[in-house]
Amino acid sequence: MAVKGLDIFKLSPKTNCKDCGSPTCMAFCMKVAQGAVPITKCPHMSQEAIALLSEATAPPMKSIEVGTGDNAHKLGGETVLFRHEKTLVSRNLFAVTLCCKMSDEEVDAKLAAMAKVDYERIGEREFVEFLFVHGDADAAPEKLTALAQKAVAANRAVIIDCENVEAAKAAVEAIKDTKPILNGATAANYAQMSEVAQAAGVVLGVKGANVEEIYSTVEALEKAGNKNLVIDVTGANAKETLANAVLVRRSALKDGVRTLGYPSIVNISVLAKGDLHMQTALASLFTLKYGSILVMENMTYAEALPLYGLRQNIYTDPQKPMKVAPGIYPMNGATADDPCMLTVDFALTYFLVSGEIERSKVPVNLLITDASGMSVLTAWAAGKFSSSSVKKFFDEFDIAGKINSRTLVIPGKVAVMKGEIGDKLPDWNVVVGTREAVEIVKYLKDGEHIKAAEAAAKSAPKKEEKKEVVADDAPLDLSKIVIPEIKVVDMGVTYKQRNVESKKFVTIGERIHCISPVIREAMATFNPEPILKRAAEQIAAGATYLDVKIGPAESNGPELMTWAVKLLQENFNNVPLALDTANKKAIEAGIAVYNRTNGKPIVNSADAGSRISYIDLAAANDAIVVALCSADGIAKDNDERMLHCHHMLERGLSLGMESDDLWFDPLFLVVKGMQDKQMDVLNAIKLFADEGLKSTGGLSNNSNGAPKNVRPIMDSALVAMAMMQGLTSAIVNPNDRRLMETIKSCDIFKNNELYSDSYLDV
Amino acid sequence: MAFVPKKQAFNASINAVTLGTGDKSIVIGGENVLPFYTFDAPIENAPKIGVEISDLGMEEYQVPGLQEFYAGCTTPAEMAKKAETMEGASFLCLHFEGADPNGHNKSVEECVQVAKDVAAATTMPLVIVGCKNAEKDAELFGKVAEALQGKNILVLSAREENYKAVGASAGMAYNQKVGAESAVDINLAKQLNVLISQLGVPASSVVMNVGSAAVGYGYEYVASTLDRVKAAALAQSDDQLQMPIVTPVSTETWGVKEAVMSEAEMPEWGNQEERGVEMEISTACACLASGSDAVIMRHPAAIATVAKFIDALM
Repeated sequence: MAVKGLDIFKLSPKTNCKDCGSPTCMAFCMKVAQGAVPITKCPHMSQEAIALLSEATAPPMKSIEVGTGDNAHKLGGETVLFRHEKTLVSRNLFAVTLCCKMSDEEVDAKLAAMAKVDYERIGEREFVEFLFVHGDADAAPEKLTALAQKAVAANRAVIIDCENVEAAKAAVEAIKDTKPILNGATAANYAQMSEVAQAAGVVLGVKGANVEEIYSTVEALEKAGNKNLVIDVTGANAKETLANAVLVRRSALKDGVRTLGYPSIVNISVLAKGDLHMQTALASLFTLKYGSILVMENMTYAEALPLYGLRQNIYTDPQKPMKVAPGIYPMNGATADDPCMLTVDFALTYFLVSGEIERSKVPVNLLITDASGMSVLTAWAAGKFSSSSVKKFFDEFDIAGKINSRTLVIPGKVAVMKGEIGDKLPDWNVVVGTREAVEIVKYLKDGEHIKAAEAAAKSAPKKEEKKEVVADDAPLDLSKIVIPEIKVVDMGVTYKQRNVESKKFVTIGERIHCISPVIREAMATFNPEPILKRAAEQIAAGATYLDVKIGPAESNGPELMTWAVKLLQENFNNVPLALDTANKKAIEAGIAVYNRTNGKPIVNSADAGSRISYIDLAAANDAIVVALCSADGIAKDNDERMLHCHHMLERGLSLGMESDDLWFDPLFLVVKGMQDKQMDVLNAIKLFADEGLKSTGGLSNNSNGAPKNVRPIMDSALVAMAMMQGLTSAIVNPNDRRLMETIKSCDIFKNNELYSDSYLDV
Repeated sequence: MAFVPKKQAFNASINAVTLGTGDKSIVIGGENVLPFYTFDAPIENAPKIGVEISDLGMEEYQVPGLQEFYAGCTTPAEMAKKAETMEGASFLCLHFEGADPNGHNKSVEECVQVAKDVAAATTMPLVIVGCKNAEKDAELFGKVAEALQGKNILVLSAREENYKAVGASAGMAYNQKVGAESAVDINLAKQLNVLISQLGVPASSVVMNVGSAAVGYGYEYVASTLDRVKAAALAQSDDQLQMPIVTPVSTETWGVKEAVMSEAEMPEWGNQEERGVEMEISTACACLASGSDAVIMRHPAAIATVAKFIDALM
């Protein structure tokens, strides 16, 4: 922000009255400058100071709305120069030119050609959003008006491009209800043009020979009270136009020049008149470099396909996973009689799988199901890819009605879902496919899927033998839970009695998770050894809690969680546990047999989106809950993180929870890829701590993909920084000795544990 | 008060790397501003365009415009000679698609001969692109680099799997230029440059290919990688990312649906070749706008346009 704490201090009453809650005026002003408290908290601040501050905190680039109805568009509102810095918000739009000098036939032909380019690409309508109606300085008002009306009739938003005030006025008056842009203010005529635009309530486009001239004209217009503007940055040639476009946007966003904080128009049709290839070249440049509306002479498919593709890429949010729309994708000329292959909607998974299927040339219906843009295993572990979600997808898209084949190939990585999907879709022959996409070509070419489906059809159980299906919303009947007998085995490790009031950092051991093949197998067969082994290792290494991640476990969640809780607590002196699953009944069942001696159970996890009700579950069971500060995808910034945090906090408190029982997770991000967001996460922890809230998270995610020898170093450095910020817990691998020693050392510095020479050993 | 926009020239700059020898040699890189930001500071070396020629010859060039341009050519050497006359071209790029062990599996000797023939027939700087098989490429680059000593060629590229062999032979033993290739991963791009410089290859002999994609096909990763590499190189003065960037465009754009689907299959899309040309133009210009110091292209119409585009902005 442009205003510094010291600037505000100069305007403050300097009485140190403490009415604002801060000890001194200086302290208060520093906080205001940081955006930590609103200036209105000081009852004695002058109007002048308040005005200065509201100017300083206004967005650096205005959002401008034009058009109406289907042709309403939003321009501008950008906060960054490059998409990787955060995200770009308003995709650039395209216009095609019409000119008063064109004959009626020419105009009609152009409108007809323009209308042809109108198609859908990954969920977005791609078409020419604007018609750019140009009149020269000597344009007749009637002619310009008639052309503008014709443009409106073509059902597009309209830009009237004319520097002749009289003609512009007539045309704007005639179509002002459609909220066109009047592109025509210059250093010479801006006062009159502004009057026309304001009287009609439309956006005014400002032109100038260079940035300096544009600046003075905008400044004059703003002074006269018109801030409903766009800037036409078109210069004498491409080079000057690029300079204008960059300087306008960069000055606004980087240098805090709010006078230039408006969307832009780039008239490519005059920069490369008659040269369609050059217009594509320039439109590509100005899509990346700050054109809000790109004016083209024409828009054919040959131009549209690359330009709209580029635009769609550049304006995707880098923090949201790329998703493919769920549905049936017939590959290699598949018909309704061809078998189905199922996978998730994560774009990279889709591109890999579809690419391999194409290479096999075997006709297959690829089914893409909604999994929140996660990869197969991640989605499965998070409960986003389950037999219920598959069933819901089959119902919603009427797969059984649209496809005659009854062969369904599921990804090999989720072979465990075969039975559950078979139960929910009894008419289908569910076949386990390959684990990796690269194996698909051979698999399909060899007809493995057909053979397996035939085998499945033969061995399919008769309908009447079908298991009794319990409705998903039926209440949990604890008396029906039957688990294998628990044996206590001496693993040579005991869990030391814990003071639940201790301020010491809480480590939650993450090693018992179903993504590990060994554990997945153990959970599928109720085999205690591998689970006990990992539990013993983690406890010996000093883990406070153990996380028990069982996956969705749709068919036997309550049994599995009950068994796991009893197994671990009976073997290890009631070790406290985090119950980690999307299966709510499993959590309920686990808590029903849970012993609280060493700490409340932790529900892992809730979020502010579709998993908000896990807070209710924790509240109803007097449990702690890990509250992920995200809704759909990673939070954009700390404003959003705190919004989610407060939303969940409110919900928890209203249900009678203590704030100490909500452990907020800022979501640690991978350094490789999101290096520039690491400080945001750390600052979020500080924001939680400042409000007295507890926090946790999967800290070692930061070093994902880094070399094995480097990871402990990165994790240790991050945990030290995070504990400094006030992190109270983390989900970690306790077998990482360097990390555990760092945590113990930080606990010493934070005075959570009394120092002794042997503090690392106790 | 009159408004004076702030300039943003950096203290750091991109390395200037020379390719080829004699009159036709070119310099890529050297700038201390973002691409085409001549209003911040002058850019000495305009971005360059290379023409891709396949070692498989005309069988890879079925597009009418290419058939016409190369009419009468039967060998890669003849095509290369013709390519030198292309408006806007400043270097040649010999792409050994045929060396792929899973494809034509041409022998290294055979490839070396083709490279020698092309080098003998032409005077423009030469870039050798491999077949993406790490082992074969390492052998091929070593042998071609040896055969064309003194020509100051660029081999594209050394990757994580074979940088040692490629760096040691082409980069050090035979004094050629080495391209370091990573797939839209800025951390790996930097790591590869660190490893190659640790081998002893001087920074002035290294260029980068940080990955490429056709517009519409995950191009956002390419754009952001280019943006971030330039930001690190210039704003953070990271000398392990100051190598100029060469981006192959044609290999990506001529394989996507927009360029491959015939007009009979997609009548509303119109002329197939025109679509391919526009895809190539748009992708090349997007790469140049985000930070490529050179692009490798195929179609004469696309190359002429992109050359004109560069001229207009310099």
